[in-house]
Amino acid sequence: MAAAVPGASRARAAAVLLLLGCCVPALAEGLQDQAEQFFRSGHTNNWAVLVCTSRFWFNYRHVANTLSVYRSVKRLGIPDSHIVLMLADDMACNPRNPKPATVFSHKNMELNVYGDDVEVDYRSYEVTVENFLRVLTGRIPPSTPRSKRLLSDDRSNILIYMTGHGGNGFLKFQDSEEITNVELADAFEQMWQKRRYNELLFIIDTCQGASMYERFYSPNIMALASSQVGEDSLSHQPDLGIGVHLMDRYTFYVLEFLEEIHPASQTNMNDLFQVCPKSLCVSTPGHRTDLFQRDPQNVLITDFFGSVRKVEITTETVSLDRDVAGFESKLPEEELATEPLKYAEQLPVAQIIHQKPKQKDWHPPGGFILGLWALIIMVFFKTYGIKHMKHVF
Amino acid sequence: MAAPLVLVVLAAVTVRAALYRSSLAVFIAERVEGSNAGVLSVSVVEGLALLDLGVSPYSGAIFHETPLIIYLFHFLIEYAELVFMITDVLTAVALYLAIQDFNKVVFKKQKLLIELDKYAPDVAELIQTPMEMHYIPLKVALFYLLNPYTVMSCVAKSTCAINNSVIAFFILATIKGSAFLSAVFLALATYQSLYPLTLFPPALLYLLQRQFIPIKLKSKSFWLYTMQYASLYLCSLVVIICLSFFLLSSWDFIPSVYGFILSVPDLTPNIGLFWYFFAEMFEHFSLFFVCVFQINVFFYTIPLAIKLKEHPVFFMFVQLAIISIFKSYPTVGDVALYMAFLPVWSHLYRFLRNIFILSCVLIFCSFLFPVLWHLWIYAGSANSNFYYAITLTFNIGQILLISDYFYAFLRREYYLTHGLHLTRQDGTEAMLVLK
Repeated sequence: MAAAVPGASRARAAAVLLLLGCCVPALAEGLQDQAEQFFRSGHTNNWAVLVCTSRFWFNYRHVANTLSVYRSVKRLGIPDSHIVLMLADDMACNPRNPKPATVFSHKNMELNVYGDDVEVDYRSYEVTVENFLRVLTGRIPPSTPRSKRLLSDDRSNILIYMTGHGGNGFLKFQDSEEITNVELADAFEQMWQKRRYNELLFIIDTCQGASMYERFYSPNIMALASSQVGEDSLSHQPDLGIGVHLMDRYTFYVLEFLEEIHPASQTNMNDLFQVCPKSLCVSTPGHRTDLFQRDPQNVLITDFFGSVRKVEITTETVSLDRDVAGFESKLPEEELATEPLKYAEQLPVAQIIHQKPKQKDWHPPGGFILGLWALIIMVFFKTYGIKHMKHVF
Repeated sequence: MAAPLVLVVLAAVTVRAALYRSSLAVFIAERVEGSNAGVLSVSVVEGLALLDLGVSPYSGAIFHETPLIIYLFHFLIEYAELVFMITDVLTAVALYLAIQDFNKVVFKKQKLLIELDKYAPDVAELIQTPMEMHYIPLKVALFYLLNPYTVMSCVAKSTCAINNSVIAFFILATIKGSAFLSAVFLALATYQSLYPLTLFPPALLYLLQRQFIPIKLKSKSFWLYTMQYASLYLCSLVVIICLSFFLLSSWDFIPSVYGFILSVPDLTPNIGLFWYFFAEMFEHFSLFFVCVFQINVFFYTIPLAIKLKEHPVFFMFVQLAIISIFKSYPTVGDVALYMAFLPVWSHLYRFLRNIFILSCVLIFCSFLFPVLWHLWIYAGSANSNFYYAITLTFNIGQILLISDYFYAFLRREYYLTHGLHLTRQDGTEAMLVLK
């Protein structure tokens, strides 16, 4: 409950100050703004869908990207039950990994983002466009376990992070299929119509990532991308011990930015937009906020990356109704008069069990037998002469 | 000669019965060398079961036997083991009688040629004597019955035994000189598996020889006899096929039996050459290569007929060997049939050049077949290339064996007419070389 305590103390402080601040209008005004803003974000739970779409060892950095966002999101309070982590390949246990069971994000193996408690929900070949869209829209077969579902409601703030190889208008999944920006926009519209999110933050770290959010048309979506259309997102640094690039630049700097965030941070989205300027990232990160109803200045990072619960501490006691125990269940009269239900035989099982299929044996047709033996006899007598017939008769 | 033959038959039947009762029966039955897609007797059981259910037996994918086999097994399926033992015995007896007659013919012809002074003076050691020819029929029966290949084929209950039996009867009828019976049995053999069609020329040549009709293209009696024999053969074939139509009242046995043999759809590994090629081939080329492979079987008839027209029985032997090497679904039963004839040419032994290596190759390959099969399928440490390599080696061994015998035969014929000590024009010793 680490997130609740600062919130609770903050709420208490705000309430106390509000009461005291009647005589200090200016101070009360600022604090009221803060309190209003505190209650304005409107979400009650947080979800995260983190997707890495590339396989093969040389795409190590995409898995490291996703895992570093996973790590930050978990550190800031979103539990595993509210995170859908999709990794298209296994880098930690890849036979080419010189340090098995680790995925590093900083060179010289400073930070292992794969720790002991990583829960991957969709792994390896399960990461497909179809599965991703089913997770988003909730149209999942009934046999899917809970950990693989996005059980969000209309008060959920969802963070969707995608990384991999992309192009102008598409993102490549698993080297075999693509998801287009139109499909993604339609999926988000389905989510909106099914009331599956309150607000949605979409971050994408691929080449020409901005093309993926061009087509969104549903309300309450804010999008960030690592590069504009026509630009490539570049990787950050290789580690000579592991042999591959460990992270992409944009996510690397986002990770560094998020390491500064704690659950009580007041940092807002505008700071996130400034992460990774062109001098560091080489590509130009982009963002889109026209669909979002709140001002990004007022949107806290922890609204999406953390799971900050709104907790209200009250000192009053609440008593439950004592007459609950006295409530008796009374069946309405008409139900007792009906006949007791009994099992109705629908199939004549006994009949079926004891009835064996009639064995209809096949016999060669009479004409065939006649013809065959006539031929054999003809051959016999042709060979040995008619005079042998006297031996027969 | 009856008593030793009976003894041999009894021994063979005992061996087979013992194997049937032992635990090896199942092991042998599932060997792909003994029975494969073309000759499986399990498919007969399935075909009969399908018939009992009221469905055409050819609607399944594994039954590829002719309707006459259906008729035969319809009544005899419970006694299947007895049936296969009896067919083996019949084959051996038929071969015995055939080779007995053939020896008489050979001896007569040899006597004639000696009296006509066709032989060179110093070839006394090459002439076959009745003493050494006395035991050849028994050896032939022995070779056939106690050959491990035949035993394996019998225990595997492969219908190849029935095929062998029909071919043996055909050979018996041909050597006895009855054109009618020979045509009927050849039609039966062709009806069952298409390849005995290539045995038509040697049978024709033998019958012509027996009727003393010279083989000249302009001779009218030659064409007359050929036409007679061919029409007998074709008519009996047509009659048998029409009769099979009446068994099931449908023609769908034709694509199922002959289409199967010709188009080789089933690529289960066997000891032949087809499966590996067609398993790795692109669809685009498979028709072309199927045609090439099938023509390969029929192609050797013409040059062999030209070369061996004086010796039709040897031609038949070589043709049988070629069929069993190049047919689409060979089994060791086919190999056993032509190996049964080897004692007939035992007088060629002194001219065989590679017989030791070839027999070693054949024996080793026979032992390596199940080993590499196990390694490939069960242990997983080999792959199909290993098994195919042994198949290739086995077939190369067979081909070299046949060509060795062919060369030895021709060499002996040459020595007979030109003398053992060949000299060149200037008097030095000459060597005979096959060009």
